[in-house]
Amino acid sequence: MLSLYLVVPLLMFLVLNMPPIDLMRRAAFYFVAAVGILQVIVSNCMISGCALMGKDVLDGFFNFGVQKDQLSLVVLLAIGIVIVITSLLGNATIKETRSKFKFFNLLLIALIGMNSLVMVRDVFSLYVFIEVVAVSSFIMIAMKMDEEALEGAFKYIIMSIVATMMMLFGVGLFLISCGGTHFTIIEQSVRQDPGNILSKIAMGLFMCGLFVKSGIVPFHGWLPDAYSKAPSAASVLLAGIITKVSGVYVVIRMAMMFSPEPKIGKVLMFVGALSILIGAIAALTQSDFKRMLAYSSISQVGYIILAAGCGTGLAIVGAVFHFFNHAIFKTLLFVNAASLEESTGSVDMDRMGGLAHNLPAAGITSMIGFLSTAGIPPLAGFWSKLIIIIALWQAKNYGYAVLAVLASVITLGYLLSMQRRVFFGKPKPEFKDIKKENPGIVLAEIILAVITIAGGLMFPFLMEHLFLPLAKI
Amino acid sequence: MTYLIFGLILVPIAAGIVNILFRKNLSGIAALLTVAASAIDLVLAISLFGKEVTVTYPWAMFGIDLSLRVYSLNSFVLLFAGIFGILIALFSVNFMKGRAALNQFYSYFLLTLGLTNGAVLSDNLIVMLFFWEALLLVLFGMIIIGNKHAWKTASKAFIIVGISDVCLLIGIALTGFAAGTFNISNISLPVTSAINQVAFVMLMLGAISKAGSMPFHSWIPDAAKDAPLPFMALVPAALEKLLGIYFLARICLDIFKLTPESWLCQLMMIIGCITIIIPVMMALVQKDYKKLLSYHAISQVGYMILGVGTGMPLGIAGGIFHMINHATYKSCLFLTGGSVEKQAGSTSLEALGGLAAKMPITFACFIVAAFSISGVPPFNGFFSKEMIYQASLDRGLFFYICAAGGSFLTAASFLKLGHAAYLGPVRAENKSVKESPLSMTAPMIVLAGICVFFGLFNKIPVGIIGHAVAPRFNLAHIEEHANIMLIAITIVVIIAALAHHYIGYRMNGSGLKAVEHIHNAPVLSNLYDRAEKRYFDPYCIWDKLINGVSYVLLGIDRLIDFVFDGLCSGLSNAFSYLIRWAHNGLYAVYIAWAVAGALFVIYYILR
Repeated sequence: MLSLYLVVPLLMFLVLNMPPIDLMRRAAFYFVAAVGILQVIVSNCMISGCALMGKDVLDGFFNFGVQKDQLSLVVLLAIGIVIVITSLLGNATIKETRSKFKFFNLLLIALIGMNSLVMVRDVFSLYVFIEVVAVSSFIMIAMKMDEEALEGAFKYIIMSIVATMMMLFGVGLFLISCGGTHFTIIEQSVRQDPGNILSKIAMGLFMCGLFVKSGIVPFHGWLPDAYSKAPSAASVLLAGIITKVSGVYVVIRMAMMFSPEPKIGKVLMFVGALSILIGAIAALTQSDFKRMLAYSSISQVGYIILAAGCGTGLAIVGAVFHFFNHAIFKTLLFVNAASLEESTGSVDMDRMGGLAHNLPAAGITSMIGFLSTAGIPPLAGFWSKLIIIIALWQAKNYGYAVLAVLASVITLGYLLSMQRRVFFGKPKPEFKDIKKENPGIVLAEIILAVITIAGGLMFPFLMEHLFLPLAKI
Repeated sequence: MTYLIFGLILVPIAAGIVNILFRKNLSGIAALLTVAASAIDLVLAISLFGKEVTVTYPWAMFGIDLSLRVYSLNSFVLLFAGIFGILIALFSVNFMKGRAALNQFYSYFLLTLGLTNGAVLSDNLIVMLFFWEALLLVLFGMIIIGNKHAWKTASKAFIIVGISDVCLLIGIALTGFAAGTFNISNISLPVTSAINQVAFVMLMLGAISKAGSMPFHSWIPDAAKDAPLPFMALVPAALEKLLGIYFLARICLDIFKLTPESWLCQLMMIIGCITIIIPVMMALVQKDYKKLLSYHAISQVGYMILGVGTGMPLGIAGGIFHMINHATYKSCLFLTGGSVEKQAGSTSLEALGGLAAKMPITFACFIVAAFSISGVPPFNGFFSKEMIYQASLDRGLFFYICAAGGSFLTAASFLKLGHAAYLGPVRAENKSVKESPLSMTAPMIVLAGICVFFGLFNKIPVGIIGHAVAPRFNLAHIEEHANIMLIAITIVVIIAALAHHYIGYRMNGSGLKAVEHIHNAPVLSNLYDRAEKRYFDPYCIWDKLINGVSYVLLGIDRLIDFVFDGLCSGLSNAFSYLIRWAHNGLYAVYIAWAVAGALFVIYYILR
């Protein structure tokens, strides 16, 4: 069953590059969208525990030694949703057939990388797949090939190299100190030999590499540029899922693995809180829509890291729930940004105003997205933030809990000002006859908004079936 | 059976939601749908009558389950809610024809019915609160569609009812805290500790203000002028009384173990007495058909609260019986008012007169309902009042005198109303008035019929209610001890009211002015003048007070604004620009941060 996650995208990738190439180029969107939808369906089936036909046959053919648990399944579900959205967006925003084809190929590679990275149980393989994802995203950022896009991509590459060095160094040290790179080996060794300096350095370095990947302050230098300079479809993918999976997911995984070392948790909480604060304050005065969202992303990731550092069962539940929600609502806001860019050709918030009249779907869904981000009940974002804050309070981290509450006020502040500057107010004459909203983008927006609302309203149900099992891992 | 219970809530609400989607020119269909949904509601209520069913679904966490329960008492209440629903829906079809915002009216009508059913059915305090609060929204909508100036009344009602709903909310929170559960069937708290007493008072305030008691009453007379008349007949006259007094009875019987000696009972009885006397004094001098009735809608609540407040099975049963009776005859009276308004074009008593010959059916219904409300035997109001009299006499002479005095004034004001509107000379502009069509008279006739039926066969409802109130309640026991003295006094009171009216009529020259001598009495005239100017309206007093307070608060607010606008936003802007400045786009700087961060992390871990 698990092999579906790897085999299907891989096969699709091969089929996509077979002759007749012209036909394949035109069909690329449908291929990728189908893969994404399949992933959503399979993940739902796995979570709800119902069997798919032919499961055993598949597992007999392909056995990669990958494993799953509830955490992987939630992340796989999020990946599937964002891939569907990104393929919709890529189809709508990228006009030229060749670059569209290129984009969808890269999307499939990134998907394979992310799926494998969620399911492997080995630090070295983890590193390899992080690189697979990273390389495909470098190219996606640079796809426009103008000066800004190249600058963003180049910054990401440079910082990724720093991260690579840290992680590889860490993997090497693990190999020396623990005698292996499999998760269970490392976990046992950390538990049995807590004083080992080498494994401590290895943990610290590996974590720092992941911090770079997930854009935690002060390792985040590349993030605002990469997010804001990438083509809109790529920035949706990047902000929505790539940095989350290759950085934040692994941080949660590692935090659970390294839990015998209490200082790791403290470091996580400190950098998490720092990111919440710096990201939120920096977002206040941005005038570029996507750049503001990038800083907001730093701040929201801070919440996840803070909860992961807290380490109690409830905190991990909160972290993963917020991870899922963040994947949804940040993707939604980036889709709104894409809609703006598509229609007005700009993402400069100072020039905009009253766009809710021209782009009603974007105006309404961005409201849902920002309310969820700011944690307004009954939307999904409220519940995950609430769980995080309760978990922090229960673990007696009162200072961090208060900071988490106060920062969500700043979040509401900058997002409200965004909504007012861009969508509310009188329609400006210069935007009178801008392009209508693309139906693909509208569909993407509606799907995400519905998930946000449904996630909030069905919270007790989701909590019971999806997230509470996490506390047992 | 489960489906039936949900149907009681969902059918009216679903039909109400469909109604609001209609265009204005489809209002005929909306009316049809309303009648149909009300009829289904009544059928469901009949099929559930007397059954005992509990349905529980897990809903939210923390012991908040969607739990609904039907049992003897509330199935009776639901039945009557259904009867009023269908009758007033039928009446509205003709009455509302050609008015603005019809689809909204019908939609709110059905929503009110469905939400009331929900609140009556709920066996969980939180679930009940949901329905209860939703009713507030519908109430606002119902009033605001009345006319262009109705928003003032609507917001007044919204604020007053909102405040009392907050009391209810606090009461529910305290009760849940004290009992450890929100499930009404599982709660049984003694009223000895302070927190339980506060919880009781808060719940009681919520319940009696829903029923329209003083001091939460002042929006009702205003709404009588502004809101559409079927709303008055349905909501303040019928459904809100049913809901409020039903919940009050549940508080006293189930949720709290109330003893008649407790000061809480005294408090309720005093509130009851005040609510009987003051509004009926106001009703006496009104010169508008609907406004006069609306003051009675407040005054009669006093009897119910007094009855329930006696804390004795007889009194509580009397209070609940009076609630049913009142809802019946007051709806009927409001419908006669609507009939007059539709046919004669006015409800001002100065413009009416001599309608008895023109509208005989309306007049006959009015007579029956007026006899009921005045407590004339053998109509239903007489029997419920008699039960309340007896219970209150047991608790103290003062309460009995208030109740009997209220009866005198009620009778006097209805003599005035009937005389002024239906008797006397016919005015020139009313020469061509005709009787209302069947769809309007039929509901009135049915309601008047219920008044007579419950009077003649009073053992049926008293038996049902008595059994629900106290399982060992003995009907025969009451009859044996029926106080002939009290009945005699009641009849004397009514005859006195008649005599008083006749003397007043002779003294002042017309039926309308028969009570002018009370209006112009030395101290009272002063008080009446001020009451007319709303000096005693808690809402207006509060309104004036708030003005002063708001100036002070504005000053404080400006200060806080200054701190936030100047200091906080300045600081955060400064920080934000600092961070922007730090992100200068140099690779070297970013790498340096990352490396420094990594070194710091490793230093910290190794330390």
